[in-house]
Amino acid sequence: MTDDKDVLRDVWFGRIPTCFTLYQDEITEREAEPYYLLLPRVSYLTLVTDKVKKHFQKVMRQEDISEIWFEYEGTPLKWHYPIGLLFDLLASSSALPWNITVHFKSFPEKDLLHCPSKDAIEAHFMSCVKEADALKHKSQVINEMQKKDHKQLWMGLQNDRFDQFWAINRKLMEYPAEENGFRYIPFRIYQTTTERPFIQKLFRPVAADGQLHTLGDLLKDVCPSAVAPEGREQNEPRLKTDSRSEQE
Amino acid sequence: MGTSPRLPSPMPVAPPALGWATGSGAERSWLSFSMEEDEFFGEKTFQHCCAEFIRHSQQIGDGWEWRTLKDSSEGYMCKTHFQIKPETLMSHSGASACVQTCLPIEEALELPLDDSEVTETTTGSQVIKYEYHVLYSCSYQVPVLYFRASFLDGRPLALKDIWERIHECYKTRLLQEPWDTITQQSLPPQASPSPAHC
Repeated sequence: MTDDKDVLRDVWFGRIPTCFTLYQDEITEREAEPYYLLLPRVSYLTLVTDKVKKHFQKVMRQEDISEIWFEYEGTPLKWHYPIGLLFDLLASSSALPWNITVHFKSFPEKDLLHCPSKDAIEAHFMSCVKEADALKHKSQVINEMQKKDHKQLWMGLQNDRFDQFWAINRKLMEYPAEENGFRYIPFRIYQTTTERPFIQKLFRPVAADGQLHTLGDLLKDVCPSAVAPEGREQNEPRLKTDSRSEQE
Repeated sequence: MGTSPRLPSPMPVAPPALGWATGSGAERSWLSFSMEEDEFFGEKTFQHCCAEFIRHSQQIGDGWEWRTLKDSSEGYMCKTHFQIKPETLMSHSGASACVQTCLPIEEALELPLDDSEVTETTTGSQVIKYEYHVLYSCSYQVPVLYFRASFLDGRPLALKDIWERIHECYKTRLLQEPWDTITQQSLPPQASPSPAHC
């Protein structure tokens, strides 16, 4: 894992330049300038947009403001998806900056979960981490941690503190020397082209014969339509773990 | 459910919290297994237990059904349940009933109910629809209870309204640590009522 430190840092510090514009039908007392922000790929929209909210609320009256929500080209953005996932799924083929529209009314109940507080984001995040550890370690590592360790993971994410986060996360990314990997790989595959929101299946990192599975093996197994039927290339990258405890 | 419009996201009880709050008498002890007891079992056992559960539910008229996923041998249990909020006036086929306690509608009106027959008065009386799903989680290798509460028009209940409706004996724990006991989540893809809702 230490050899990967550069990769881990690159993934953690990945940013998406974003331009937030207020929805034209929102009622304002004066014109609202767009707001520019570098969004962390590994975080969540409602965790990192306090400044965006304040900026637009300055030109609005209190009575015209209810729960903030975001939309890209007509698609409401699910705050419980990591930002990088939202971008890759919806906007990666468009030119930067990523143009997001900000709304303060008509919350789309059928499309989005409410985000009543930072606690809700923390609970969602920790729930993902716990499910990932259920797959990797039968929850043994996460359950052995103290509450303060869980809190440190969350604070590391919230405050963009790589070292603080990884001091705890590294334990979730280890496996016993005699094993060759986790029990199962925590992953989800998102596609815009399918009915179901994501694909998640049990997948072992090591085959019965002891060969390490590759990312290509995983894709061929769980999402064959995404993989072209050709021969395996030389030096195909091994199945690596991601900077987060879960892959999404 | 496949033909209904997109429904609001349901909310599961995340393992290892204790299974609870079906509100019916048909709770089964395997729903309350926690991780520490190491009572894991596979999907086949889950299906077998569900078959027994459904059989019992049919005997006592408790309304649980089994749904199979298309193109799959997998499935889940589900149940829909209506409840009137206290001190609400209800009218049904011209007769009015004053309901003082939170009774299931079937008991209050003594009639079989389908939601097209239920009307609300203009005072904004509240009929709450609860939907429960019991799925098998491959990640945790245990069953998971998902539930969602909504008004008849499909609007979801606010979280605080849900907390308030929890049975007294669970309320203390829930209010102290609401987010440890329940997780807000979207229904997993295999049980989504309609396309692409997450």
